[in-house]
Amino acid sequence: MLSNKFKVFWDLSKGQRVTYLTAIVAMAIGYLLMFGVPLVVKFSIDAILADSAPEVPGWLYLLASWISVEARPDMFDYLLLAAAAIILLTAVSGSLFYVRGRCTAVASEGIVRALREKVFHHLEHLPADFHDKADTGDLVQRCTSDVETFRVFVAVQVIEISRAILLLLTVLPILFFLDTAMAFLSMASMPVLFIFAVLFFLKVKVLFKSVDEAEAKLTTVLQENLTGIRVVRAFAQQETESEKFAVRNAAFRDKNMHLMRLLGLYFSLSDLICMTQLGALLIVGAYWVQTGDLSIGTLFAFLTYEGMVIWPIRHLGRVLTDSGKAVVSVQRLSEILLVPQETQHEPELPHRLKGAIYMSGVSFAFDAGNPVLEDISLHLNPGEILAILGPPGSGKSTLVQLLLRLYDYQQGTIQLDGQELSSLNRKYIRSQISTVLQEPFLYSASIADNLRVGKMNADDLEVEAATRAACIHDSISAFSSGYDSMVGERGVTLSGGQRQRIALARALLKDPPILILDDALSAVDTDTEAKILNALHHRKGRHTTIIIAHRLSTVLAADKILVLNHGRIIQSGNHESLMAEDGMYQKLCQIQGSLETGIASDLAINNKGVNQHG
Amino acid sequence: MSEAYYDDDNYSDGFDENAFQKGMKLALWKKLFGYALIYKFEVGMLILCAMTTAISEVAFPLITRNVIDAVNIHGSNINLIQYALAYFAFILLLCISVGGFIWFGGIIRTHVSHDIRRDGFRNLQNLSFSYYDYRPVGWLMARMTSDCERLSNILAWGMLDLVWGITMMAGIAIAMLYMNMFLGLAVLSVLPVLAWISVTFQKRILTSARQVRKTNSRITGSFNESIMGVQTTKAFVKEAENDRQFGSLTDNMYDSSVLNAVQAALYLPIVLTLGSLATGLALVIGGIQVMGGIVTAGTLVAFLTYTRHFFEPIEELAHWFAEMQMAQASAERIISLIEAESEIQDSAEVVRAIQRTSLSAQNHELAIDGYADRINKIEFKNVSFAYANGSNVLNDINLTIHQGESIAVVGSTGGGKSTLVNLLCRFYEPTAGEILIDGVDYRNRSLHWLQSNLGIVLQSSHIFGGTIADNIRYGKPQSSMVEVINAARLAGADDFIREMKAGYDHQVGEGGNKLSAGQKQLISFARAILAKPQILVMDEATSSVDTVTEQYIQQGMQQLLDGRISLIIAHRLSTIRNADRILVIEKGRIIEQGSHLQLMAEQGRYHFLYTQQKIDDTVKTASTLAAG
Repeated sequence: MLSNKFKVFWDLSKGQRVTYLTAIVAMAIGYLLMFGVPLVVKFSIDAILADSAPEVPGWLYLLASWISVEARPDMFDYLLLAAAAIILLTAVSGSLFYVRGRCTAVASEGIVRALREKVFHHLEHLPADFHDKADTGDLVQRCTSDVETFRVFVAVQVIEISRAILLLLTVLPILFFLDTAMAFLSMASMPVLFIFAVLFFLKVKVLFKSVDEAEAKLTTVLQENLTGIRVVRAFAQQETESEKFAVRNAAFRDKNMHLMRLLGLYFSLSDLICMTQLGALLIVGAYWVQTGDLSIGTLFAFLTYEGMVIWPIRHLGRVLTDSGKAVVSVQRLSEILLVPQETQHEPELPHRLKGAIYMSGVSFAFDAGNPVLEDISLHLNPGEILAILGPPGSGKSTLVQLLLRLYDYQQGTIQLDGQELSSLNRKYIRSQISTVLQEPFLYSASIADNLRVGKMNADDLEVEAATRAACIHDSISAFSSGYDSMVGERGVTLSGGQRQRIALARALLKDPPILILDDALSAVDTDTEAKILNALHHRKGRHTTIIIAHRLSTVLAADKILVLNHGRIIQSGNHESLMAEDGMYQKLCQIQGSLETGIASDLAINNKGVNQHG
Repeated sequence: MSEAYYDDDNYSDGFDENAFQKGMKLALWKKLFGYALIYKFEVGMLILCAMTTAISEVAFPLITRNVIDAVNIHGSNINLIQYALAYFAFILLLCISVGGFIWFGGIIRTHVSHDIRRDGFRNLQNLSFSYYDYRPVGWLMARMTSDCERLSNILAWGMLDLVWGITMMAGIAIAMLYMNMFLGLAVLSVLPVLAWISVTFQKRILTSARQVRKTNSRITGSFNESIMGVQTTKAFVKEAENDRQFGSLTDNMYDSSVLNAVQAALYLPIVLTLGSLATGLALVIGGIQVMGGIVTAGTLVAFLTYTRHFFEPIEELAHWFAEMQMAQASAERIISLIEAESEIQDSAEVVRAIQRTSLSAQNHELAIDGYADRINKIEFKNVSFAYANGSNVLNDINLTIHQGESIAVVGSTGGGKSTLVNLLCRFYEPTAGEILIDGVDYRNRSLHWLQSNLGIVLQSSHIFGGTIADNIRYGKPQSSMVEVINAARLAGADDFIREMKAGYDHQVGEGGNKLSAGQKQLISFARAILAKPQILVMDEATSSVDTVTEQYIQQGMQQLLDGRISLIIAHRLSTIRNADRILVIEKGRIIEQGSHLQLMAEQGRYHFLYTQQKIDDTVKTASTLAAG
């Protein structure tokens, strides 16, 4: 299981591993060359002090001949050669560092891009019950901050760790080559420094977390206040709110300050270690110069190397503790990535469905033993209209979700045009059905783009035909940017009814064999609803239609009517047959009948009242 | 769309980032620096510590120089202890300074951001709603969180690096020039080139970093949308299309991230190579001079060390310079927030009246502004209203409400019902006409007094974090538990609260997520009951409550309305019917007005709405009952 988790991420690095390796190799060579600079300086200083230029070492011949310095140079030429070597070494190692930077960026960003796309794609293909249970905020958090933590790990921390290791691996041989005793001395504080840093950051991690928590609390109070500002004003609680905020604000400040104090302590103590190390090296080195065991040039080289190595080591403790975060993030991401996707292997049919729906004995439960639908049977011919009535929670919407294969039914059979639903590809089924929900989701794109979700290549005339049928064309045209108005924060604010009608137009534009309206006109006023129903009536026969509704006016147009309760069909038939039955449907109609009488009697009382006044 | 995913880069708020990035807006920084200057001692200490840090860093190569010269010239005759002591003294100075600047810088950073936030919050509590209309909650949140942190970082650490960098460069320059003028000038000649390159690069690096941030927030938005809309995506088989769109975003992200990293990767070798030029210069010129006896070996070593450290501050300074330019838009935004003036506030006269009243003896009959506390009559006189740059939402409204009267308002969405409420509560003021409280224009009364006499229940009830009891006593924090329970009972909330594990101590989460919409409405209903307001406003307050509970509430309602002025925007017939008067508002005008019976007789708009809704309601009730 554990290996599974990391395998997902290892696979992501496919195609980038060579680039990554190039980066590390470039860095290794770069450091090796950069370490040549203090050596050159060391030999130069020793030569200057000895006042005689030694022979040009073999590896510098090429450079020497290039700037026309002879093999046995005089002192000036020798120094010129040294300067040229320093600049050349730095320039080449600098270029290699550039290669490192570029390759690291290409590799790490490539890996992260693959990760983002994989997570995005995966989320879209996870089954509906995963999304039912998941919390949107938490998922978004994982897709963004955890990916970012992982990115920092591959882009920065891996490189930092390799850098520290490479530094040590390359500098140690040089140091021991120069002087064994000095080499041991210069390494004396490294383990202390390293362990100190790791321990400190492990401990301080808790504090980082408490700062984050304090910030979250501050943000919560702030957000609550700003979203509820009307309530705050209406109850004149500005003072209390300010006090509440002041407490959080001060807590955040103090926690942060606490962290600062500890960081101050850490940096001054670790500076103490680092600088004492450098000071000891200088004084002991100087003593050995006095005793003649060490040249001044070598002392300089040691001081320079120490300065180059000691700061990255100090930093390494921080990097290692931060890397711990990456492990947590990888785990949180793999919790998503290891959930299996919806099945996709079923075949698609080559043609458009006619729209016959057949169900027999269908049962479904989200949790075993708690059925949402039981023994549902129905039959619809292509082009027919079915109305489903029933109180909230009776299973109406679940029935729709089963048809879309958002969930898979556990018992019974569902057939479209005689084909078993579970043997058909989900995407194919969904392409044959349009649904309009009570609270439709619109993308934050233009209205036109939202409509074309139904049919991407629809021309303007088709779009307008659909919006006219859904009685939304006029409203859209009234927006200052018309069909190009953006939906959402940056654009127009749509009322619930407008959203429902746009969703309806989107569904009609798709022109599917099967159309499902799930309480889809609940926020539309009755005038408009009548117009829409009329428009739908004109299209009768084009789609097999399932309408879930509360209003009797909607139900009257249906060929077949089902009354659902507690997941079971308690009545089925058409308006006439159900009126004749003693049951819920009849009761509904009776209430409506008595309602009319009620209004009439209201008016009668009213007339009497007026008469009395008169 | 969720407010939580607001992002500056995706929202146009009139502050053009690019316009702010040219030059240095000194006036802006002066204002912000005022926040740091409150901590004069800390600022002084930070500057001192920054300087001593730089000075000790300059001192180490000098000590090294003296040690080398000592052993080189005097050999073993010299005692190294004094140098060791000097070195250690500077180590101590350095460590104390480092600890000190983090300490004092930390105080400045945390306190400045705290203070800016405090002032911002205070002002937000007083700004009128018209300010909120054009700024999403996310915009305000961004100012109060990330902007505060960013600016206080600049103030503390930017100031630190400025002082440290300048002291360090000046110190090194002086040391070099003092040790050897010619050699010093030679090394310093590299400086201008390096400074120019650094500033240019840092600006580019920060610009591409902003592009990365921008794209990143679009990616976040994309994830959010794909998760929220997953069912729609599946139903319309949009997966491939979404993948394609997301793919172009990640491509953008890849391009700008790599560009940003490459810029940084290019900067490093250039600085290193320029630095090595200085090292080379120092070695050749210094070497010749050592041999000529003009400078000592120690001086040469010191020069060589200085050339490595001399350029570090430049990188830091260039970074802060670029960051300050980039942050100027943020600075302007937050200052605009702190300095924004409320369009609705007590006039100078009212303020004077409040002072006078507070000086005179306490009189419970009088409000804080010296007028009678009891409200007998509210009058709308020819009131019209338009939101900024919009057409009139309300036209010529005339309306008188007496104490004890309940008014129901019905009409289509967008007709102006909620605006009427907003005007009554003085969340907005009329653009024409006036609203009189017992004959006095309410603009001449205390805003705080009016609003503390309000009780409001809104359709989307706002629940604060804390316990249910806290939420109910929100308007009267000092209420006893008995009062809380009584209010909850009247609101029909007592039963469901008792069913919760912790009862009234039940913690409600952020925004009250664990409660249903109906439960939230009942709690805010109880909140209004407990506040015992003189004016009660209910805006679709019971729309999410089931029918049975609603009937139950009706009983409490009568008690609640008694002796108050109430304005009820409602959907439910039962609520509307019982009102003393019903207003029908369409397109900003009162088109019908009267009792239920009168309006039914008119057979106008009200009759139509009533009939339609009655059918709806009955069907819903019937299906619920039949199911039960």
